[in-house]
Amino acid sequence: MTDDDPDHVLRGDESAAGATYVCSDCGRAFHTEDLRVLHRGVRHPSALNAAEQQAYRAVYSEEERAIRSFRIRALGILVVLYFGLLFLYVVYAS
Amino acid sequence: MRPETTPRRVASVAGAAAFVIGVALLTRGVAASNAAVGLSDAAGDALAVPRWLYVATGGAAIGASALLAGFVTDRGFVAWIHGWRRDLYGGRFRRGASTAAGVGGAVLVALVVYRGFVGPQVSTINFAVVVVFAGGRAGLTMATYLLGNLWPAVNPFRAVDQLPTGIVEYPDRLGRWPALAGILLLVWVETMTGVTRRPDVLATAVVGYAVVVVTGVLLLGGDAWFRNADPITTAFRFYGRVAPLAWERGRLTASIPGMRLVPDVDPDGTAAGRVDTGTHDPGGRAATDHLVSGLDDVAVAVALVWELTFSGFVTTEQGAAAVRAAAGVGLPPVAIYAALFIGGFAAFYLAFLGAARVATRRVRTTRSARTLAVAFAPSLLIVAAGYHLAHYFGFFISLSPSLAAALTSPLSAPANPVVFTLPAWVSGLNIAFVLGGHLVAIWVAHSTAYRLFPSRLQAIRSQYPFVLVMIGYTAVSLWLISLPTASPAFLG
Repeated sequence: MTDDDPDHVLRGDESAAGATYVCSDCGRAFHTEDLRVLHRGVRHPSALNAAEQQAYRAVYSEEERAIRSFRIRALGILVVLYFGLLFLYVVYAS
Repeated sequence: MRPETTPRRVASVAGAAAFVIGVALLTRGVAASNAAVGLSDAAGDALAVPRWLYVATGGAAIGASALLAGFVTDRGFVAWIHGWRRDLYGGRFRRGASTAAGVGGAVLVALVVYRGFVGPQVSTINFAVVVVFAGGRAGLTMATYLLGNLWPAVNPFRAVDQLPTGIVEYPDRLGRWPALAGILLLVWVETMTGVTRRPDVLATAVVGYAVVVVTGVLLLGGDAWFRNADPITTAFRFYGRVAPLAWERGRLTASIPGMRLVPDVDPDGTAAGRVDTGTHDPGGRAATDHLVSGLDDVAVAVALVWELTFSGFVTTEQGAAAVRAAAGVGLPPVAIYAALFIGGFAAFYLAFLGAARVATRRVRTTRSARTLAVAFAPSLLIVAAGYHLAHYFGFFISLSPSLAAALTSPLSAPANPVVFTLPAWVSGLNIAFVLGGHLVAIWVAHSTAYRLFPSRLQAIRSQYPFVLVMIGYTAVSLWLISLPTASPAFLG
């Protein structure tokens, strides 16, 4: 089963159409510049030049803000779940 | 350049602690609710929790723990958890112990066949039934995911590989589908043919399996057969990956349970450094030991989850009633069971593939749905292990005196078989097993997502569809283990 070759399967470049931002070190394509910057920072940290490091820091802290907003929303959902279940138990478990 | 500084690490440890505490609180609530379900018939003033609320609580526990897992965003910490290994033993006596175990396995199989045919035809005391189901189906499988995969050592059919084998080249395009068909067939035989009740039928089935295995090994060669087509070896290999102990590079190493399931693949798709030397690759797959490398393996993982759900369903009063109701319309019972078995499996499988498809749409990634399904499928094995423990732990404990008696005196049936009666709180343990399996699976999926995606938000968002599918699986399973058991309709 040739297309079960794990490297091929896990590389997953089947849907790379429209992804124009290509990593110059490993050839993976990305849909946005930010994703490529993050990828290069995570996978090829030693290959970054000073400008790329700067860009990675910027994108990373921007993502950090997005993650903080995710955390706040997740906390909200947890609170709703907790009290929702609490009231459900008060009403239905007797 | 690593932005993870010490405060960040502290924050991630605190996040992990919050995850554990949250899970503990949630599961404690669920365990209490189940004890209440158990007591609701006994005492008027006990807390009675409606079944839908109990199932919803379980689903909420999964969803909440997925959200809590999302709080842990430190790549270094996540990678440390699944990459942790401890070297235990160099394996000096491995070959000798393995030969001894193989001889033991051969003796057990011979005794199962012999006692199955000539022993007393009573399932509770017959050596064959007790050893195959309490020993193999329950005990050995539990040992496989709790400790390590013993089957390759015990498997007596490995010896056939010493003969000249491999007359035919294994057709690679078949992948692991033959093993999937074999697993489904074995579960079908277990449910439908009375092997659990009639020792002579069980012995016939074992002989049939042995003939198929020996023929398969002689035709295809041991590696190709055991890796791609043998259902029992494949099931144990998949379960064994959950275990904390395994042989890596010829040495016995320990890992955190379940964390070997995280695929060893960098986000850019190249396989990372660790290579299992003990594995062969006759199917033309790469040298690195990917447990799941195609949709065939995804189907095997789903099948291990589904078969426990199916056998759980048909042995409940509601399941038996549903089958009887369908038979009342005039459908033949075998067709009902077949439709349920195959249809349910297809539903579970398509739900998982659908989750992968939705995930690729939701996050802007160049990875395909197939890649995500392949990467996240190993987390299902923890789920399967949790279900297996929930379904077989009590069974194994209560039958362990019978098993010990059968193993110590294989040729004489015990006059007075001893069976332990379990305390009521064991049903609470079952809920903990189902939920615990799902919770570890969520962590494995979280860890896998961090290996797949460059962006941490992508990793979090890619999880939502899979978590929904997991909630569905949990709801079904929690519902099943709360139902009263009965013997399946038309099969008793």
